[in-house]
Amino acid sequence: MASIEFVNVTQSFDKNVIIKDLNLKIEDGKFTVLVGPSGCGKTTLLRMIAGLDPQTSGSVLINGKDVTRIPPGQRGVAMVFQNYAIYPTMSVRENIEFGLKNNKVPKDERKRLVESISETVGLAGYLDRKPSTLSGGQRQRIALARAMVKKPSVFLMDEPLSNLDAKLRVQMRIELIEMHKKLGTTFVYVTHDQVEAMSMADTIVLMNQGQIQQEAAPEVIYRQPNNLFAAQFIGVPPMNIAELGIDNVMFGFRPESGVLSTEPLATHFQVPGTIVTREMLGSETIYQVKSEEQAYMIKCTEDRFVVDQEVYLGVEAGNLFFFGADENRIDREDGRFSSYLEALGGRSKVLVMRGQANG
Amino acid sequence: MSFEWKYVRAPLSFLLKAIVLMIFIFPFLWMISTSLQTFQETLTFPPTWIPSIPQWVNFSTAMNAGPFLTYARNSIIVTFSVILIQVLVMIPAAYAFAKYRFAGKEILFSFVLLAFMIPGQVTFIPVYLMLADWGLINSLLPQILPFMANAFGIFLLRQYFMQIPQEIIESARLDNASEFKIIWKIMVPMSMPALATIALFSFVSHWNDYFWPLVMTDSAAVRPLTMGIAMLRETEGISNWHIIMAGNVVLVIPILIVYLFASKQIVKAFVYSGIK
Amino acid sequence: MDKKRIWEAVRPYVMILPAMTGIVLFVLYPVAYLIKLSFYKYNLMNKDKSKFIGTDNYTQIFSREDFYTALLNTVVYTIGVVVLTLVLSLIIAVWLNKRKRFNAIVQAGIFTPHIISIVSVALVWMWLMEPNHGLLNFLLKTFGLPGSTWLQNSSTAMISIIIVSVWQNIGYYTLIIVAALQSIPPSIYEAAALDNASKFQVFRKITLPLISPQLFFILIIMTIGSFKVFDTVKIMTGGGPNGATTTLVYYIYEFRTNSIGYASATGVVLMAIIALLTVVYFRVLSKKVHYQ
Repeated sequence: MASIEFVNVTQSFDKNVIIKDLNLKIEDGKFTVLVGPSGCGKTTLLRMIAGLDPQTSGSVLINGKDVTRIPPGQRGVAMVFQNYAIYPTMSVRENIEFGLKNNKVPKDERKRLVESISETVGLAGYLDRKPSTLSGGQRQRIALARAMVKKPSVFLMDEPLSNLDAKLRVQMRIELIEMHKKLGTTFVYVTHDQVEAMSMADTIVLMNQGQIQQEAAPEVIYRQPNNLFAAQFIGVPPMNIAELGIDNVMFGFRPESGVLSTEPLATHFQVPGTIVTREMLGSETIYQVKSEEQAYMIKCTEDRFVVDQEVYLGVEAGNLFFFGADENRIDREDGRFSSYLEALGGRSKVLVMRGQANG
Repeated sequence: MSFEWKYVRAPLSFLLKAIVLMIFIFPFLWMISTSLQTFQETLTFPPTWIPSIPQWVNFSTAMNAGPFLTYARNSIIVTFSVILIQVLVMIPAAYAFAKYRFAGKEILFSFVLLAFMIPGQVTFIPVYLMLADWGLINSLLPQILPFMANAFGIFLLRQYFMQIPQEIIESARLDNASEFKIIWKIMVPMSMPALATIALFSFVSHWNDYFWPLVMTDSAAVRPLTMGIAMLRETEGISNWHIIMAGNVVLVIPILIVYLFASKQIVKAFVYSGIK
Repeated sequence: MDKKRIWEAVRPYVMILPAMTGIVLFVLYPVAYLIKLSFYKYNLMNKDKSKFIGTDNYTQIFSREDFYTALLNTVVYTIGVVVLTLVLSLIIAVWLNKRKRFNAIVQAGIFTPHIISIVSVALVWMWLMEPNHGLLNFLLKTFGLPGSTWLQNSSTAMISIIIVSVWQNIGYYTLIIVAALQSIPPSIYEAAALDNASKFQVFRKITLPLISPQLFFILIIMTIGSFKVFDTVKIMTGGGPNGATTTLVYYIYEFRTNSIGYASATGVVLMAIIALLTVVYFRVLSKKVHYQ
């Protein structure tokens, strides 16, 4: 078990600066997910922990110890790659015990460890098979077994589920959560998929363009996003954002906070609009409502409207967010919050009245 | 297409293909037939297709016409040493060119490509003078050393290594494997098809080579089989075709055996080398 | 720790060292040495008597008739081999293109001569081309045609050698073209069929452009390979009769012991021709070749 710390870390490849002066502490025993769009630097961070691409400057600490000079194989970390990186010419058993052999673990011990791990991941009957004869899911398990058998203090995972089909991915997600619970080791997991991040993480580290946007528990990021980027990256569909028209301020609300009705509503924010598209997902329905060139995505548990229907869209004051010109969220405690809220409320009344007059 | 034509077409095309096949195979059958004929039979008109009594003695006559045991031994030693040395030299070089970053890599690799394009027919005089200076002309080394770096092989193997995902190597590094172990336990087993291709190619071209030993050797003690067979005409007389063909059969048999057992691999090897 | 860093920086160079040694020692240095030799009157017995003579060797080359004969012979041989091989292997490849068992057998059969030593091939063909008891003349006479003296006549010797080279190499090029043909996705042909294209149109407008990279490659290696021709000539004709089959490499070979400087200069000329051919091919043809 180990904590990981980045201290003023910079990483650049051929004068291309990917990460600049980054500081981050990953807690011991937590399931931490690094998430962000491609090219945001999340994989770079992971590879620095592993020692595969040592940082240009700054230091990486594992358990308080600077590991800059320690080669990957001696850092006590294990990594699972997106393409599994299985050694294709070795049998499943040889794949799993390769690391043990290199670490001079005695033969009997190796045999015992390989067999108990293969039992855990469900590969017991396949130890002498070649990986090419196994399915994608089973290869994934080889990769996991290979990582687990070394009893690493840190588990690194680089998009390990993205090559699996949708059903298997959901199943593996649950297995990984259980595995983390059982092992109690530090997990660092990289993904571009915010659903994976939300469902698995103890802590999400949200990154964009080499910088950490927010570092918090999933529910905190969802309910109190630091900025526009966080608000729009997390959640499907993303938060609706529109201009308030004052001080370059933007307002926003989550798709499920919107209320649709054929009659005018009593909510604080309200606009008349037309349903442009309807996506029926089963338990819920997503409508796209257009109002004055602005489109809003609304998620409803009921399926009551049809395309082209005229509706009123409303949001309660408690569900509204405001973002300043610097794209940071304006807190409720902030003095400006109430004035922006009032401005939005006033605008809603005018729009609704105009809509009724036209109707 | 008329009705009759449809029925004639398939057998006709088969026949035509069989004739083409015979154009390429028959000379070898004729070689074998001649090698078993008597001198008289080689002179008959029309020709003797099948010898009345196989003259196995032709083979011993041919083999006694010169130090053929030495020739055969030289051919075997040269061919296998070349393959072994080439493989040992090629693997680390191809790995470094494929997977490491280092200053001057592009220039050094362009030397490899340049070497690929400069034929032995251009360099044989200076190479001979150099090896004579070193006093190596009376050994087999002039037929081995100049081929230690197989430029084509390095190029091919590097391509192959480059296709192996970087993650597999990184995984091995995280498994605390040394670079030597990564090459030996992972890269080499994964590149077996490419290595087999290169080795087969080397086998065929060095077993068959005539030009290089011709210009590099001054004495029978270091000459290979190809030269010995080519000299049969001088030692056994220009018209003793049955003896010359017997010697020829001895030269061809090892290659034909390899071809029979590995024809698919050899064909693939040659095509692959042609397309890449 | 620092030792390790140094080793990591040096390691790539150590790993390529054996290969680079071989290349420098046996290719690059000899080329430089060859160029140096070409400016000398070299004395094999006593190196100290070797004399720098400037460009005399080159002046000599370009004023000697036998050099032009050798060059012309090489050009004739090259054109003959390249044209015949290219046309015939293209025809055979298109003909044997379908994935059938018998086609594969025929392909393997045609390919066989390519892996046989040129020594064997040359000897077998000399026997076939023997004017009095050879099989070729027997066949010609059977069909009522006059026999030929083949290699023993200066007017037919070159074509005889060309026939042997084409026969030996056609299978290799057929295989490459077949591989190229089979890599064309069938959907393209299906689309052409829907567009009602004729067989000839399909070949000219689709097949040929799509396999042109391979044809281009074949053209280069065949031309360069033909310029280096030696073995067949050495064994079958010894450059004769009357120098009718003396090619450039054979010409160099003949001078290799007695006039090393002159032979080296000719070697430099050969190298220049090969380099020039490569460059010209890449310049001129790459524009016309369809690359995906």
